[in-house]
Amino acid sequence: MRENSINPAGGLHLRPAGQVMQLERLGSLHASRLSFVRTLVRQMARQRWQISCTRFDLDAQGHGTAVYRLQTPNGRYHGVFFSQPLEDSARSDRVIAEAWDVTFGVVEGELNDELLDQMAANLPLQEAGRQDPRVLVLSRANKSLRNFAGFVDALAEGRQPEPAWLTRVGYLYRTTAVYGNGKFGIADYARLQGGRDFSRPFSVQMFAVYLLRHFSIEQVEHIARARSPENAVAMNTTLRRYLGIGNSTGLGMAPFLINHPQLIQQWILSRESALARVLDQVPTEADRWRLIELTRRAMQHLSQTVTEDRAQQERNRETVASLPEVLNWLETVPLDTDLWQQLTAWAERTLQLETQELVNTLLMELYPAVVEPFEDQMSADEKVELVPDMPLVRLKQLIDTHYDWALEYDFSTREACYWFWYRSIEKEEPRLGVRHEEPGAEKEMLLAIAPRVQRAHDAICDYLADYPRALVVEFLMQQPRHKEIVRRIQAMAETPYGEIRANLWHRDLKPMHLLRAKLSFFGAGRFDPKSDRWVRMTLFQGAPLVEELNAEPANLADFDDWSFPLEPQAIDVRQSTVGEAPE
Amino acid sequence: MKVSHNELKGLCRKVFEGMGFEEGDAGDAADMVAWMQGYRLGGLEALNRGLNYLLNEDSEVPPDVLYQDGDLAVLDGHGQSVLRSSSLAVELGFAKARARGLAVVKIRHCHNRQLIMGYLSRLAGRGMNVTAFWRNAHAPLTEQVVCFRSNSTVPEIRVYAVQEVPEETEPNDAITLVLTNHTGLMPAMRSDYQYDMIAKHSESDLLECRKQTLAQGIDVDDQVWARLKELSARILVESSDASRGGAGAGTTDND
Repeated sequence: MRENSINPAGGLHLRPAGQVMQLERLGSLHASRLSFVRTLVRQMARQRWQISCTRFDLDAQGHGTAVYRLQTPNGRYHGVFFSQPLEDSARSDRVIAEAWDVTFGVVEGELNDELLDQMAANLPLQEAGRQDPRVLVLSRANKSLRNFAGFVDALAEGRQPEPAWLTRVGYLYRTTAVYGNGKFGIADYARLQGGRDFSRPFSVQMFAVYLLRHFSIEQVEHIARARSPENAVAMNTTLRRYLGIGNSTGLGMAPFLINHPQLIQQWILSRESALARVLDQVPTEADRWRLIELTRRAMQHLSQTVTEDRAQQERNRETVASLPEVLNWLETVPLDTDLWQQLTAWAERTLQLETQELVNTLLMELYPAVVEPFEDQMSADEKVELVPDMPLVRLKQLIDTHYDWALEYDFSTREACYWFWYRSIEKEEPRLGVRHEEPGAEKEMLLAIAPRVQRAHDAICDYLADYPRALVVEFLMQQPRHKEIVRRIQAMAETPYGEIRANLWHRDLKPMHLLRAKLSFFGAGRFDPKSDRWVRMTLFQGAPLVEELNAEPANLADFDDWSFPLEPQAIDVRQSTVGEAPE
Repeated sequence: MKVSHNELKGLCRKVFEGMGFEEGDAGDAADMVAWMQGYRLGGLEALNRGLNYLLNEDSEVPPDVLYQDGDLAVLDGHGQSVLRSSSLAVELGFAKARARGLAVVKIRHCHNRQLIMGYLSRLAGRGMNVTAFWRNAHAPLTEQVVCFRSNSTVPEIRVYAVQEVPEETEPNDAITLVLTNHTGLMPAMRSDYQYDMIAKHSESDLLECRKQTLAQGIDVDDQVWARLKELSARILVESSDASRGGAGAGTTDND
């Protein structure tokens, strides 16, 4: 392991990479305590962040501008929302869309008129605009038409919307891209890394989504009030909590996972290290009953998860069907000191992958003090540098030992080389094409690591036959095309995780697993695949509300307990609370 | 216009990939350009000056080692841009210095020499003292010295005109690198020979520049940016109904 890397495992028994980094297992992960939305909510509560509305200029249809101020102990930020009319026919969740219901951004520091004007001219254009470097996040969202219209109608008529609507589609708005790190002129991530508020990966993007959720509530109430000032009511607090923000995601997530191996390694290592420590805890009877309670909640949540995708339906069904076995196990097995290790060993023997990983996720809920220190270890200093003076034979040994999985693939069949990944001329959208059938293979993105490792390994073996004492740099001077993969192997070989073990060319590849792996670290729930490479899901469903945050919660453990949210029961749909305008 | 560092690096990488650079070389070259521009040292201007040259050079000719021993190497860059040819030559020097304490590498016949600074910065970040020296053989005769302390990715730079011009006028398109583990060679303008200082960049000045570009964005010329955008499109594949299906989603919302 490199000197500057973090080894939070501290001698714990981590699961082997051969198990953890299998693509299907990564595609079975659930959101956990270490997911970025959970971490952000805890940080906001601990540091007493305050969010206030400083402008709410919307017309009766909800179109206009809204601005929210965030005050942290370290700084001030503003969330800026532009809402505009949109033809139904222009409403698409593809990255290639050109207009949206809402465009928004988060700005560092004060928001003066000049900056607001600049944003008003450019945010609605998204990729086609030029954004100010004070903008930290750039995003857009479209309405869930059914929910939005239904919510407005209900609130305007003085009744609460049906909670079941949010079980079917858990949001009023769905984002289609949440840009950070310098895209289209906004601030580089390096700006945030030195700070104290948004230094963790994707935390500022998650904050932008959290603010959108708040805006969506205030906007829908505003429209209802405008339509029927006499009858309109505010949304019930329990229902507000049950409202999240949707996201549509496609293949664009896959290149990120492959091109940031050091960051992915850090995410997985932190999660696995936390899990290893949790499994070492000696359970109490209270811990056991807490796990039973959490398992029941997760079971109910999954049974309430709606998707039209048959494969995901089947996986949810199998998980729900097997959780009673988990409950039975928990209720009957003696409270031994190694109970959690017994549980995971039993789960690995008897349960499908998605249920195994659910059990792991739930176990991590039991021990906040054990798990939460790892939330500060999700970042990586991403530097992939050559070690030119390494003996070439040593490099070969590293490949033989740590990339043996890549050497095992047989790329001689059509099936093994079926797909190629490329960027389309339409907004550079990543796509998959069939090799030998579709045009563009010569412009393939080099995402498949295994074939490159194999080619380099073959060339190294040949070179060593002639020059057994050669250094890596001497080999590369003769065969420079292998420079990038050699650097990657040198950087990654001795890290526990980081390389996803899959043939990304194979006809049977399930890109959905890549998407879900990343989304689980974001904290997504309600996975609703629309194809094998396109998924909708929900963020922040069940999360504490802005007004609860502003009230400075005394019990942070309770504030943080919002995983696997359930459809609210016993909401009086006729309840009438007088709606109030935002401050 | 203003762009971010990540945006500049990403665009340059696509441009170089589109020119046929190997993946590793494309990333390294993009780093070199973005590094210089981030310190307001004219990386994009240097790239733009050499862009036609780059587009026409033969990509299949790697640098040759003309001579080497344990701590010295002389290479022929075949007149190629340092963006394409220098990284492994520099790495060769790094390996020799690690083994022998000090190494000297001379790369003859290379183009766009300014741009090598970004790669040298990475070597310094890996704990190597690096000094680069080159001369321009036109009037006035100028010399450039770029010095990195080990573990500092920001250099001291001096560019000066030499008043006493030597008789030999052979074109000098080489770079000489001195790499040392434990000895730093920094600029020291105390010679009796006469010179006119043309540019002087201290570590602290450059750090301040980087701080400003991080906060305010990086200035780029609109026309250069537009040309790079055009070149970057070479890596993109034309769209069709079939390829839209390759992204896996429908085109309208239904929720």
